[in-house]
Amino acid sequence: MGVLDYIWLGILAVFQGPVMFSVFGLPVSVTLVMILCGFLLGIAVGATPGLAGPMAMAISLPILISVFGYSETALLPVLGFLIGIMKGATIGGAVPAILFNTPGTPDSYMTTFDGYPMAKKGQAKKALRIAHFASVSGDTFSDVVLIVCAPFLAILVEAYLDLPEKTALLILSLSFIAVVIGGSPAKGLLSAGLGLLAVYVGTGEDFYPRLSMGSQHLAQGFSITTAVLGVLIIGAVFKSLEDLWHEKRAKGVIAEIKDIGDQRLHKEDIRRLVPYIARSAVIGTVIGALPGIGSTLAATLGYTVGRARYQKMKLPTDPEFGAGAPEGIAATEAANSSVSGANLIPVLSLGIPGNAAAVFLILAADSIGGFNPGPSVFRFTADAVNPELVIAFGLFTAMFIANALNWTIGGVFMRSMGVMIRIPKHILLPIVLLLTLTAIYVQETRLEAIGFTLAFGLLGYFMRLLAISPLPFVIAFILGGKLEESARQAFAATGGDPFFLFTSPVALVFMLMALGIILYSARKHRGTE
Amino acid sequence: MTGRSSSNLILGLCCVAFAALVLFVWIPLDSASGIVQQVRRHLTIGDGLAPTVAAVFVLIGGLVLVLVERNEPAQPRISGGNIRFIGIVIGILIASLLVMRFAGPVTVYFASFLTGDHLEYRLLRDTWPWKYVGYLLGGTMMIAGLIAQIDGRLTVRSLAISVLAVLVLIAVYDLPFDDLLLPPNGDV
Repeated sequence: MGVLDYIWLGILAVFQGPVMFSVFGLPVSVTLVMILCGFLLGIAVGATPGLAGPMAMAISLPILISVFGYSETALLPVLGFLIGIMKGATIGGAVPAILFNTPGTPDSYMTTFDGYPMAKKGQAKKALRIAHFASVSGDTFSDVVLIVCAPFLAILVEAYLDLPEKTALLILSLSFIAVVIGGSPAKGLLSAGLGLLAVYVGTGEDFYPRLSMGSQHLAQGFSITTAVLGVLIIGAVFKSLEDLWHEKRAKGVIAEIKDIGDQRLHKEDIRRLVPYIARSAVIGTVIGALPGIGSTLAATLGYTVGRARYQKMKLPTDPEFGAGAPEGIAATEAANSSVSGANLIPVLSLGIPGNAAAVFLILAADSIGGFNPGPSVFRFTADAVNPELVIAFGLFTAMFIANALNWTIGGVFMRSMGVMIRIPKHILLPIVLLLTLTAIYVQETRLEAIGFTLAFGLLGYFMRLLAISPLPFVIAFILGGKLEESARQAFAATGGDPFFLFTSPVALVFMLMALGIILYSARKHRGTE
Repeated sequence: MTGRSSSNLILGLCCVAFAALVLFVWIPLDSASGIVQQVRRHLTIGDGLAPTVAAVFVLIGGLVLVLVERNEPAQPRISGGNIRFIGIVIGILIASLLVMRFAGPVTVYFASFLTGDHLEYRLLRDTWPWKYVGYLLGGTMMIAGLIAQIDGRLTVRSLAISVLAVLVLIAVYDLPFDDLLLPPNGDV
């Protein structure tokens, strides 16, 4: 089986999977329908302030698993749906940012700078068109980079990294994620350390489940669902509810926006925007490829770089950045959207999730089974079919289908989503809370799981209060088991060498880089105080 | 809440103390094997190593907070208001979960008392209408309680929205699937 055969099998797996219905005799596969549904839901969720893509992914997952089961045929419809949400939410976030000066997702915050002034000037539809065009362009570029880079990186990892090097790479990744997410390296390390500690409760190889304090409840350990949903979703709901509680009496009046003049996006507009989109797409893709650095930073950098260029190129009559410049919207949206595809590079090539959406893709693959994202996926076996590789190419196909939907119907659907702002957050959030707890219960069928989730939610809430990012916690929780297993194997393979992480040059470099990045970040942080 | 405070120093010291507790008390007392162990003349990694690495992460984080980030200009801290708010939320959630857990069995007990039949909730937990009693009452209490906390009062509108939301959740999670159990029916 060659590379082309695998690509073709991946495409067929999407188009020729189980049939949902037929249109004029043409069978439409379940995966296609699920990508479409996920994409539309993603736009709606992104356009709703207070909700975010990962929340929708968390809530949908148990329903999807109940519908599709745990067979291999479930993988592509479920992952396709989640990819649809991921992509839809990215463009949906720009809607309230432009129309109501309220970012639908954190990474669309900078879209408000130029989007809302444009809307106030009567150019709302044009601003939405610019956001959509920039977002889809950045996303498509990022996906192309993912598809080209992920397999090569995975093959390199498999070819050159042995067990000690892989262990050192995991430690490097965790250290990198811990120190770059959020504003404080110390708090990132603390978050990652707590995540590791939580995943090691009740696990291990001995007969006695470690750190269980003799309790039967802790002996089974914490499930990945309770930890991830608790810290990420429930913690966020608690914090948002409190913010609403404080803001209750500070109500603003939403100004009515009317469209004035030509709202279309002309070739001349596109020609002006393309250099900004291209720069931001490259920035977003590079940032997305590094695990842990989120789309918010990409949007900030894209906007800053775009502003520097705009200062040199703009005509005296053009509005300033921050006062309704279309280039500002394009620079921000292209940057934050191009993160999503590239974020899957570390997932598929190394098995390391870089953001919350990737966490849920791994969670889905882990729940269903039959697909373990990581370097072993990209084994181009010649004699027998590697089903994981077919799924990987199926995923790439799903991403391109989502992009095609985005180019065609995404804009129209996005522009109709302004109504989502009217859903009151203080009603929505308690419903999301019950929805999440129900989603956990139907998977685990024990109230104890709800208790653990709420406890993790409390942890997530206090972490947010203290400006500790919960993402290193979640990523460490997911990688903790893999780190220990890989270290055990490496230790055994090197004949019990206690310095197994420092004997091979590559592993030594990774470990020095891990140490270096912690020291450098701490020193840099001290310098910025 | 931000402002010049010593919250990083306090958090850092707490982390160092917690890490020391984990390293010197919890792991040694609560793991069957240490950092390494001898198994059939081979040295292998014991169950104590991975949590030790985790505690070292916490320890380094704490030390960096104390030594490097102690004087950071903006240090968010936990206020009494935060504790009060989350205390009320947790109170609402616990009360709602208790109602969710016991409303069904209590209803069946009274139904049994009124009809004279010997009914048992455990046998009825997957039958209509019994299986919805706890979820409907507990779920409504949870949503309405949290909305009321933000609004400062309980309104008929928020109560109606809560009932409707729970009914929609029942329609989403229970009606289409025979194999899913709504809370608390897996426990009773």
